[in-house]
Amino acid sequence: MTTVDVPVHEAADDWTVPSLSDAEYRWRARRYRLRTVRRAAGFLSPYLVTWGVFLAIPVGWGIFLSFNRGGLIRGDPRVFVGFENWTRTVGDSELRTAVKNTGIYVVIAIVVVFALAIFLASLLNHYKKGSNFYKVALYFPLLAPPILGAIMWFFMVNFDFGILNLIKRTIIGGDGVRFLGDNPHALLTIVSVEVWRGLGFWVLFYLAGLQSVPEELQAAARIDGAGKWRRFRRITVPTLRPLLLFALVIAVIFNFQLFDSVQVLTDGGPRLGTATVVWFIHRRLFKFQDTGLAYASSIGLLIVVLVLTGLSFWLLGKRRQREA
Amino acid sequence: MAGDVTTDPTTLTEAPPPERDEAVAMAERLAAAGRAKRLSDRSRKILAYAILTLFVVIAIGPAFYLISPAFRDSVSLFTYPPEWIPSEPTLDNYRFLFSSTGYVRWAINTLIFAGCTTILTLVTNSMAGYAFARLRFPGRNVLFFVILATLMVPVAAVLAPTYLTVNFIGDLPIIGNWIDIDTYLGLILPSAVSPLGVFMMRQFIETLPDGLYEAARLDGAGEWRIFTKIVLPLIKPALVVLGIFVFMLTWASYLWPLVAATGNDYRVLTVGIASLKGQFVTDWGVLAAASLLTIVPVTIIFLFFQKWFVQASMAGALKQ
Amino acid sequence: MAEVILRQLSKHFGSVEAVEDVTLRIPDGEFLVLLGPSGCGKSTILRLIAGLEDATAGEILIDGELINFKDPTKRNVAMVFQNYALYPHMTVYKNVAFPLETARMAKDDVAEAVQRAAEMLEIETLLKRLPEQLSGGQRQRVALARAIVRQPLVFLMDEPLSNLDAQLRLQTRLELMGLHERLGITTIYVTHDQVEAMTMGQRMAVMRDGRIQQMGQPTDVYDVPANTFVATFLGAPPMNLIAGSLVRDNGHVSFRCEGYELAIDPATAAIAPETLEEAIGEAQLGVRPEHLTLASLDDEGLPGVVRFLEPVGSDLFVSVNVNGQPVQVRMPPDTKVATGSDVRLAFDPARSHIFDADSQNLRS
Repeated sequence: MTTVDVPVHEAADDWTVPSLSDAEYRWRARRYRLRTVRRAAGFLSPYLVTWGVFLAIPVGWGIFLSFNRGGLIRGDPRVFVGFENWTRTVGDSELRTAVKNTGIYVVIAIVVVFALAIFLASLLNHYKKGSNFYKVALYFPLLAPPILGAIMWFFMVNFDFGILNLIKRTIIGGDGVRFLGDNPHALLTIVSVEVWRGLGFWVLFYLAGLQSVPEELQAAARIDGAGKWRRFRRITVPTLRPLLLFALVIAVIFNFQLFDSVQVLTDGGPRLGTATVVWFIHRRLFKFQDTGLAYASSIGLLIVVLVLTGLSFWLLGKRRQREA
Repeated sequence: MAGDVTTDPTTLTEAPPPERDEAVAMAERLAAAGRAKRLSDRSRKILAYAILTLFVVIAIGPAFYLISPAFRDSVSLFTYPPEWIPSEPTLDNYRFLFSSTGYVRWAINTLIFAGCTTILTLVTNSMAGYAFARLRFPGRNVLFFVILATLMVPVAAVLAPTYLTVNFIGDLPIIGNWIDIDTYLGLILPSAVSPLGVFMMRQFIETLPDGLYEAARLDGAGEWRIFTKIVLPLIKPALVVLGIFVFMLTWASYLWPLVAATGNDYRVLTVGIASLKGQFVTDWGVLAAASLLTIVPVTIIFLFFQKWFVQASMAGALKQ
Repeated sequence: MAEVILRQLSKHFGSVEAVEDVTLRIPDGEFLVLLGPSGCGKSTILRLIAGLEDATAGEILIDGELINFKDPTKRNVAMVFQNYALYPHMTVYKNVAFPLETARMAKDDVAEAVQRAAEMLEIETLLKRLPEQLSGGQRQRVALARAIVRQPLVFLMDEPLSNLDAQLRLQTRLELMGLHERLGITTIYVTHDQVEAMTMGQRMAVMRDGRIQQMGQPTDVYDVPANTFVATFLGAPPMNLIAGSLVRDNGHVSFRCEGYELAIDPATAAIAPETLEEAIGEAQLGVRPEHLTLASLDDEGLPGVVRFLEPVGSDLFVSVNVNGQPVQVRMPPDTKVATGSDVRLAFDPARSHIFDADSQNLRS
């Protein structure tokens, strides 16, 4: 292109400093780039070491263990058993009960807690006066560790002096209810405790979602004469839908791990009526000494959770795409 | 406009008689409807607040239900009809709690456990988050994805191998004195592995303008100086949120401490209090006293810092 | 105090050639302006010199030392960013002191140096404030103070005035020039504003698509643009380009368009007569608005019809339709002319340019 002698470039060859050879240049460029790796290693290693030793390695070890039995405590040597644990998981009636209970629990708890949370969140979204007080108060159960929440309810549902039985006996008369001693009361009690604990969180969660609905949109709908129900269906539901799916997956992941309140309130009883998957794993590992099945079900739990995690990322990704 | 006419009767005086009657009737009808609507609005409002209040009572009621049993003799609990206000309030339960159980020890252990886990998490996660947000190195995205994939790994799913890992390290020379089952570090380290904080920190650090980082480099600052002098001060809010979140999660945790701290020396509050509830016989008064004593300070702290707490709890779900 | 040399410098982002084969020599103490539209690679050159990007190929030398593989923290160049990049959590004092404290300078020396820089930029009274409490112009000064406080070898400025309002821009421009005069630090200044480039630069390099189009003193570049890009990028309104062709008649090469012909004197051409032959074909005639005048129909010149009049106070810009193309003419404000009238556009052939089919200027 350049047929014209315009001072675009200055002659490079009359300069005193010699150029590097190609090989030298490439070598030094590479060494220079590697300095970022050293730096990154410095910043990453504290976390990577902790994570690697206490999470990544255990995950791998756990997968290996699922083909073994024993080896958890001294005097119980580890034996490789191949797929035996996995085939046994299908037939074990206690595990089957635990899975069934967990499933029932997850479904009821999530349906109830979501319905209540969306209801209360829309109330709080509409009646703003004093909503801060209500938010704080509803959040309260989350402050106490699950164990303490369960113990509070241990007092509430006591056969002799629990307030629920006192009310029942005073109003309806007759004997008290064995909230923790009978099936299916025990499982329903556990569901209630967990609903009580989780409600505040989900109210705030959905309230945040609702408040992301632009005020103008609501106002516009009101002016258009849209009724309450219509507004709820046309505006609220579509805003919450992406949230709802994501929340659902998260809630399943969390609730699937129900353990603390079962352990402290019923210890799986009565007659395995409140046995859950994590309770089963803990019991087989540290009480029952039937480790093989526990190893396999740990990995089963891991797979379920990983799949659900993948699902939640996918949902988030979709939401981001939509927003973009 | 029709609306003006019906709501303002004075403008109707000049209207012809027949129309006037009609208009007045209409105005009255509308006014009645308005009153009915207002009334129903008000009753709806009352109903809404009644429902909210009911749920508040349910939310905080169980804690209050501990007060009475905590200050009286367990036997008196079983009288019927119930005696709400103890006739002979007593501090015996607390005396027992402090003298005959490990409550104080558990509380100290819990502070050490949750405090160290929080500090460790903040340090490692902010550093790793910085590396993922700002430093370019090969394999960055793959490594981040692999770490992120372990975000939800349940404690229960890796309970046995984690226990074995800690046990294994416990058998090693020197380091085994520090990290083992029934040691603080054995309790803390496996509790400080969640990548949630790394993810949060990365997101937050990425929102800082590139210019700051570049200006600091040209000002001669190395990565460590940029991290401590520029990045950390600017992400303080995120650090507070993450810190509260981790602390709350850790001190409430139960399963890992149950397995990793079996002896009384390293037992934490959750495990300790749960152990007060006996398999067959329970000292109700002591159990209530211990539970109450544990939640009161948290509640007070919460009331002071509620805004941060709420943000922290949302951090887990929404910050993603 | 340093000479900066860029030798065949290239930076590619994937398949995008942000900077391509740039060779420059910036003598010690020079104020060089890199001018070009956004995305032309001028900022990338700054970032390469600063070390914020790694070059794909080519070398950067400061005072004869190759710095390609030297960490930016050690290059001792200072940069003023478009958005100032002040540390929002530090006071003005801390901001200015940061590079010195990083260099572990003694506390008293730091205070003294900050004080000196603050005086020079008249920000002594702001030292205790946070950046968010400052106006745009004040932030600008703080950013400058932070840059000069440690006496860097090279000053890099990335559109430092673009966030200021017009009034302040004018004032700061003069101050920057004063500052450069006083400190004598080699300065590379990036801008897309031709006024800044013309007024501030001792030399300027006009860039497009990662390549330097022309390099030289601002007035030279303005007077003899190397190609149509430079011709139209500089000047407001830009140089008029009139399409036509180069023809040979009786051994003489001339530019011809409808109703007009301009002979080319081989003596003033930028290329040898032999190569001039190769340029025969499509071409464009370029004349700046201020070199055109409206002449009567009897005079020699381009024939056209007046379309619009734009009085701007100091001048009257007349838009004339020449062969279907608009041509801008700058006239004194009191010129009497009516739209729709037929005119001729007269100009001094010595101040006109001929661009060949490759857009290169054939005049020198």
